[in-house]
Amino acid sequence: MQKAIVFLVFFQASLLFSQQSDFSYISFTKADIIAKNTKSRRLYELNKLTINLTKDLHTDVEKVRAIFKWICLNVANDFRLYAKNERKREKFKKDSLKLSEWNSELKTELFSRLLRRKKTICTGYAYLFKEMCSIAGIESKMIYGFGRTADVLEFDPAYPNHTWNAVKLNNKWYLCDATWAAGISLPERKKFTFKYNDGYFLTDPELFINNHYPIYPEDALLKKNIPTFEEFAQLPLIYGGAYKYFKNHNSPSKMYNELKVDTAFNFKYILKDNVEFKDVKLVFIKGIIEFSRKPEITKEENIISLNYWFRKTGYYDVHLYLNDEILATYIFNIKP
Amino acid sequence: MKTTILTNNVKRNYLLVSFIFAIFFSVQNASAQKVTVKGVVKGKTELNTELLMGVNIYLKDKSAITTSNRKGEFTFPQELNVGDILVFSYLGFIKKEIKVTRNSTNLTVILQEDDNEMLGAPNTNKRFSSKKDRQ
Repeated sequence: MQKAIVFLVFFQASLLFSQQSDFSYISFTKADIIAKNTKSRRLYELNKLTINLTKDLHTDVEKVRAIFKWICLNVANDFRLYAKNERKREKFKKDSLKLSEWNSELKTELFSRLLRRKKTICTGYAYLFKEMCSIAGIESKMIYGFGRTADVLEFDPAYPNHTWNAVKLNNKWYLCDATWAAGISLPERKKFTFKYNDGYFLTDPELFINNHYPIYPEDALLKKNIPTFEEFAQLPLIYGGAYKYFKNHNSPSKMYNELKVDTAFNFKYILKDNVEFKDVKLVFIKGIIEFSRKPEITKEENIISLNYWFRKTGYYDVHLYLNDEILATYIFNIKP
Repeated sequence: MKTTILTNNVKRNYLLVSFIFAIFFSVQNASAQKVTVKGVVKGKTELNTELLMGVNIYLKDKSAITTSNRKGEFTFPQELNVGDILVFSYLGFIKKEIKVTRNSTNLTVILQEDDNEMLGAPNTNKRFSSKKDRQ
């Protein structure tokens, strides 16, 4: 009975939200091979490139896949431009005229660098995706909003910092973020490494909202329970790894948690299909002390629960690791 | 003037010929008249207007495409019919549609910069630390 309920809940959820598994009957292998084998040193012939990527594919989702994958495998994050933009935006924060002028100047530089050197920042990725979809005859749009990372946890609602896309397939909108799917950035070392993360392609909106808050809330593609901006800022911090393994993040529902000592806490996640994990651990940081603990794990269908007893008081950063990869961070304030 | 010495008869013939020509041209216009579309594409930003290289130029039904060259110039690879719609699109600029006319042999297309802001939040796996916040 319980299993039947779990199944029903799952089934319903999969009907409600637009996600990659809607297309589980289509293999992306061919699109991925085309994306990998298509080369273009510069992007001055986007038309030709897009047609080469899509002409042998028959469904829109495969075409979008080839475009998305190609962008992620070929376009790097541009740190010099990112840093310069941050500096200028901060400098002209109070002067809208200067900011608008800078924005125009930046755009020229940005697109020229994108087409010539295949390097860009978020908005460039989003533009490129939209343009290539448009050439392939597929409707898509750019979504401006707030991307939440360890560096940026709180936002001024007037200053969005991130751009991603929504794409329309079979009359339904889907979310994707090419910037974050392309690889990992180390801004302080001015280094970018290509490392494709499939979790950002046609992502379940319920997971996506954890670190993507759109300027127009309807762009979250959530049918109900759209968090307010304030609630968004209090959600748990999730990382790229979470997109790899999770379909959804259920508990804790907030980043900051207060508990009484000697109580158990239940962490709960819904895993993607066919996810394998060998090692789950919680890493605790208190001041300069760091230690890791193995929680009690129960797994039913795709739902994984971790149970942990907090036996000592204190203020802890708690990081969730799966297979040595960081997935999420919470704060636990354990009171006497 | 030449016309002043024309006889009434010739005048009548002249009118008839013009009439036939007019019909001929209007029929030609209504049916397919082929034009080789050429031109140059520029982008107008807040600060200046510059030639754009790599502009995507295509027939609205996507049956034929081309791209502007280093000097912003393009020659559409096939002759087009009067009335065909050409789309000009470039990153960061508002898409423009142009209806092909008989005079589309030397176009100057100016794309207007859109007003989107440029943003960037790099993806990091940097682990959060509340230490800073609490000091």
